[in-house]
Amino acid sequence: MVSRRRPERAKRRLAVIAVLIVSMVATLAGRLYYVQLLDPNKPVQTAGRLHDGTIVVPAPRGQIVDSRGRPLVDNTSAQVLTVNRETLQGLPDHGTSVLSRLAALLGTTTAALAKEITPCSPTVPAPCWTGEPYQPVPIASNASTAVTLAVSEHRERYPGVALQTVTLPRYPGGTLAAHVLGYTGAVNADDKKKNAALTDSDTIGRTGLEAQYDAALRGIDGQQVVRLNPQGSAVSAGADVPAQQGDTLVTSIDANVQRLAEQSLAKQIADSRAKGKPATSGSVVVMDPNTGRVIAAASYPSYDPQLFVGGISSSNYAALTSPTANDPLLSRAIAGQYAPGSTFKLITSSSAVMHQEISLSGTYACPGSLAIDGRVKTNFESESFGYPISLQDALGYSCDTFFYAPAANEFYADQSRITAGQKPNEYLQKMASAYGVGLAPGLDVPAAEQAAGGYADRDTRLARWKANRAQYCADAKHGFPQVADRAQRSYLTQLASENCTDGWRYRAGDNADMSIGQGETTVSPLQLAVAYSALVNGGRIWEPRLGWAIVNGAGKVVSTINPKLRNRVPVSQSVLNYIADSLSFSRGWAVSGAFAYLNSPYRNQIGGKTGTAEVFGHQDTSWLATWGPVSKDAHGATRARFVIVGMVEQAGTGATAAGPMLKRIWDGLFGVGGPAVVPGTRPATVLPKIAPQVQVSR
Amino acid sequence: MTLLARDPRAPFALTPTVLPLERRVRGYDWILIAAALALALIGAVLVWAATRQAGGNPQGFLYRHLFNVLVAGALLVATSRLDARLLRLFGPVAYVASLIGLLAVFVVGSTVNGAHAWIRLGGGFELQPSEFMKLGMIVGMAVLFARRERDDAPPTTLDVLMAIGLVAVPLALVMLQPDLGSAMVLGAAAFGVLVAAGVRARWTIGLLALAVLGAVLAVKGGLLADYQLARFSSFMHPGHDVQGAAYNVTQAHIAIANGGLFGTGLFHGPQTSGGFVPEQQTDFVFSVAGEEFGLIGGSAVIALFAVLCWRGLRIARGADTAGRLVAVGVVCWIAFQAFQNIGMNLGLTPVTGLPLPFVSYGGSSMFAQGLAIGLLQAVRRRAVAAA
Repeated sequence: MVSRRRPERAKRRLAVIAVLIVSMVATLAGRLYYVQLLDPNKPVQTAGRLHDGTIVVPAPRGQIVDSRGRPLVDNTSAQVLTVNRETLQGLPDHGTSVLSRLAALLGTTTAALAKEITPCSPTVPAPCWTGEPYQPVPIASNASTAVTLAVSEHRERYPGVALQTVTLPRYPGGTLAAHVLGYTGAVNADDKKKNAALTDSDTIGRTGLEAQYDAALRGIDGQQVVRLNPQGSAVSAGADVPAQQGDTLVTSIDANVQRLAEQSLAKQIADSRAKGKPATSGSVVVMDPNTGRVIAAASYPSYDPQLFVGGISSSNYAALTSPTANDPLLSRAIAGQYAPGSTFKLITSSSAVMHQEISLSGTYACPGSLAIDGRVKTNFESESFGYPISLQDALGYSCDTFFYAPAANEFYADQSRITAGQKPNEYLQKMASAYGVGLAPGLDVPAAEQAAGGYADRDTRLARWKANRAQYCADAKHGFPQVADRAQRSYLTQLASENCTDGWRYRAGDNADMSIGQGETTVSPLQLAVAYSALVNGGRIWEPRLGWAIVNGAGKVVSTINPKLRNRVPVSQSVLNYIADSLSFSRGWAVSGAFAYLNSPYRNQIGGKTGTAEVFGHQDTSWLATWGPVSKDAHGATRARFVIVGMVEQAGTGATAAGPMLKRIWDGLFGVGGPAVVPGTRPATVLPKIAPQVQVSR
Repeated sequence: MTLLARDPRAPFALTPTVLPLERRVRGYDWILIAAALALALIGAVLVWAATRQAGGNPQGFLYRHLFNVLVAGALLVATSRLDARLLRLFGPVAYVASLIGLLAVFVVGSTVNGAHAWIRLGGGFELQPSEFMKLGMIVGMAVLFARRERDDAPPTTLDVLMAIGLVAVPLALVMLQPDLGSAMVLGAAAFGVLVAAGVRARWTIGLLALAVLGAVLAVKGGLLADYQLARFSSFMHPGHDVQGAAYNVTQAHIAIANGGLFGTGLFHGPQTSGGFVPEQQTDFVFSVAGEEFGLIGGSAVIALFAVLCWRGLRIARGADTAGRLVAVGVVCWIAFQAFQNIGMNLGLTPVTGLPLPFVSYGGSSMFAQGLAIGLLQAVRRRAVAAA
C-alpha cells in the first residue's frame, strides 16, 4: 500500500512537470511558426541598409548692423584642423606616424593628440572626444597659415587630416557697442533643456541683443550625413544640408554716434580723473525722441565681446569679474540706476505745475537753506537769491529750495487727507511713474539687463518696515556688539531703534528729497532719456527699441521692430514748452547746463538740464540731459531730433563733467570742429539696404 | 579495483577502466547525450555564423566554443562515473562550493553588461559562478528531501522551510549581482524540485503567488536596476525605443521573421552577417538559427530541447528520490532557461541575460550543463544497475 502510493504520487508530480514542459515547447513552436510564417506585419529587413549618422554643421550667426547698414557683428572664417580617427585606425601603424607629424607641427605630443581624438567612455577619462565616433575630431581651431599650408601641401603625409572652414562671430568695431550687442557663448546643458533643437556646436547669445534676438540670429544648422555600416563606421558621405545663416538684425544704433559717445565718455573719465575726481564709471544714451529708437548707448568701463567667442578663458573671465575691474560687463546706460539729482526737476516741475502747486506766472523764494520737519536742507553750495524767482529761473539756476516748499506742502496735504480717512494723492510719485520711473523701460534686451529705477512712497516704506521690523528691533535691543567703534555703535543702535519704532514713516523731508531727485529716487540713464524725450515729443513715453528690423538671407525685411508708445505724460503742451524753453541754452548763463556751450554755434538750438546727485560716501554724480536741435512744430510744440543723456559717477557737478562730455557729441552731430557724424543732424529714418547673404562655400 | 567496483557500498565507486566496454557504457542514455551534443554542435555553427565577421580571427569564437564543448564533454564523462548514491556526500559539498564561488564574485568579481557576476581567471578566462550555483542548489535540495528515504508522507513544514532557506541564500546573492535571469532560473529549478518532492500544493502555489507578488513589488518599488526596468518596459512597449533597450529585441525579431520556412542559408543571413544583433553569439544565438535555418532550424532546436527534457524526465521516473529530484531539477533548469532565452528572441518574454543551454557561446554555462548531463547519466546508471 505504502510502497504503491509513493511512486503513484511521484509519477503524478512528474506528469505535472511534463505538462508544463510540453506547454512551453508548444508555446515556443507556435510563436516561432507565427513569427516566421504567419505574422502579417513582418518587420522589414533593414540589414542591407546603412544607417545615417549626421554631423551638425553649425549655422553662421546672423549679422548685427547699425542704422546705416554698417556691421557691428559679422562673421569671419577660421581654419580648423580635424582628424578622422577611423582613417587613422585603418593605417598599418594605426596612425601613430601621422599623429607624431601633427604633434610636431602643432607643438604638442603624440600621446596628447591620441588622447584628444579617443571617444570618451567610462573607461576613457578626459581629455577625450565627446562627439560621435565617426565624426572628425577638431584638434586645432584657428590654425595658423603655416600649419594649414604644411597640411594642405603634403596631403599624402597627413591621411585622415582635413582642414575645415568654420565661421566665427567677429566684432569689426572691437569694443564698440559691446554692452548693447552683448556676448555669445557655447551651448550648455541648461540651454539644451530649454530648447531641444540646440546642439553642442551651436553658439547662443548670452546678453544684450545677441540674447534678445537669438532665435533670429542663430540660423538653421546644416547637416553633413555620413553613411554608417552596422558597426558604426562611416563608409561614405551622404547628402549635405548646408547650414543657413541667421537673419540680419538691423539696429537703430548709429555706429558713428556710438563711437563718438564712447570716445567722449572715455575722454571725460580721463579728464575728470586728471582733475583728481575718481570718475569710476559713466554712460551716455542718445535717443530719437520722435521714434523712441536708441541711437547710441555707451557705458564705461567696457569689455571686448570677442573674448567670449568660442568660449571665454577662465583667466579672462576672472579678470572681467574681479572686484578691481569695476563690472565692465554691466551695461550702465541701461542696467545702472542712480540718483538723478536735479535732472529729476523735469518731473517735479511737471507735477507741481499741473497740480497748481506752482504757478507759471508766480515767483517763489529760493533761500540758501530751508528747515523741513526740523531738518535743515540747503541749496547746492548754499546758493541763494535774495528775491523770489520764477520757475524758469529755478530750473535754469537749479534752485533746490524752490522745490522743497511745494513738495513739503504736498506732503502735509496728503497727511491731512490720511487723517481725514482719504488716500494720499502722492502727485509727485504719480508723475514720476507717468514718466516711467519705477517701471521696467521695456527695452528689447533681456529683462534682467534693464533697471527700473524707483522712488519712495508711503506704501513701499510701510511694506519694507513690515518686512524688516524684526531685524531693526533686534538690532536696537542687542546693539551692535560686533562693531568696535563706540560712537559708530551707538549711532547704529540709535538708527535701529528709530527704524524699529518709526521706520514705516514717510516724512516731509523724504518728499523734499524726491523733488530734487535724491533720497531713494533712482533712474537709469536710459529712463532719463525716455523721460526727456517726452519733453520734446509732445509728452509721449516710449518703450524704446534698439532693434529696427530683421532681414533674411535674401535681403528681405522679415519684420520691423517698432518702439511701443506706452503712455502720454499728463502734462499740457504749454507746460512742456515752458520747461523746455526755460532750459534752452540760448538763455546762456541763466541755464546751468549751458556753461560748456556758451561759445557753441548751435547753442541756441539745444537745451538741457544738469544734475549733481549726492551719493552718501561718494563724490557727486554728474548728470546732463540735453535735447536738440530744437524746433517748433505746427502747433507750437517744442520738438527735438535728438535727446542725449550723459552721466559720470563721482565726477562733480553736471556742468563740469557731463557738460563737456555731451558737448563733444553735439559738436559731432552738428559738424563743429570736424565732419558731421550723421548727415543733416538727423537720425536715420529709412532702413538701410541689406545685401543678400553670400553662401560660404565649404 | 574490481573488488571495490562490485561492492555496492564502496564510497568511491569509480568504474575501473579494466572493465569490458559493454560494462563501462551500460546505463548511459545515449539519446540524451546525442541531443545535448547536437545542440552544442549546432551552437558551434551558429556561434561561428554570428562572430566570423566581427573582426579578429573569424574562427576564434568557433574554436573556443568547440574547446568549451570538449571540456564540458570531459566533465560529463567524469560526472557520469560517480556513484549516484553518493549524492548525500557530495551534494552538500557541491552546494557549499558553488555558494563560496558566488560569494567570491562580490570580492573579486567584474562587471559585464550590468551584472557583477564574473570572476576573471586570467589568460582571457572568466568564470560565472551563478551557472554552477544552479546545479549546486539542485543537488543540495535533492539531498535535503531525500534524507528521509522511508518517509512516505509529503515533506514536512520544516523540510520545506529548510529548502526555502537553501534556495533563498543563492537567490539573494544572484539578485544582488544583479542577475535577474539567473535568479529566475534558480527559482524555476527550485520550484520543479519542490513539486517533484511532493511538497503540498498550498506550499507550491503559495510560493508561486509570493514570487509574482515579489516581482510586482520589485518593478513598482524600484528594486530593479535601471537597465532591467528599461528592458522590461521595452518588452511591454516594443518599438518605443528602437535604438535603446528594445534594439536587441527588434533586431532579433527582424532576423527571425525574415528567416521564413527554410532560412537564408548558412552565412547568408543579412542581420547575422551584418552584425546587427548585439550579443548574438550568447543571449541571441537563437536568432541566427531562425534567420539562417528558418522554421526548420528553429523547430529543430526546440525539438532537441524537447527530447532532452523527455529523456531527463524518463531518468527521473526510474530513479530513487534523490536521483529523481536531481533529474527534475536539471530538466526544469534547462527547460526554463531555454524557454526564457528562445522566448526573448521571439519577443515572448522580457530580455534577461541568459544563454541558451548548450547552444550559446560561453564556458561557464557549458561546463555547468556538461556536469548536469553527466549527473543525469550517473543517476540513470545507478538506476539501471539497481534494476
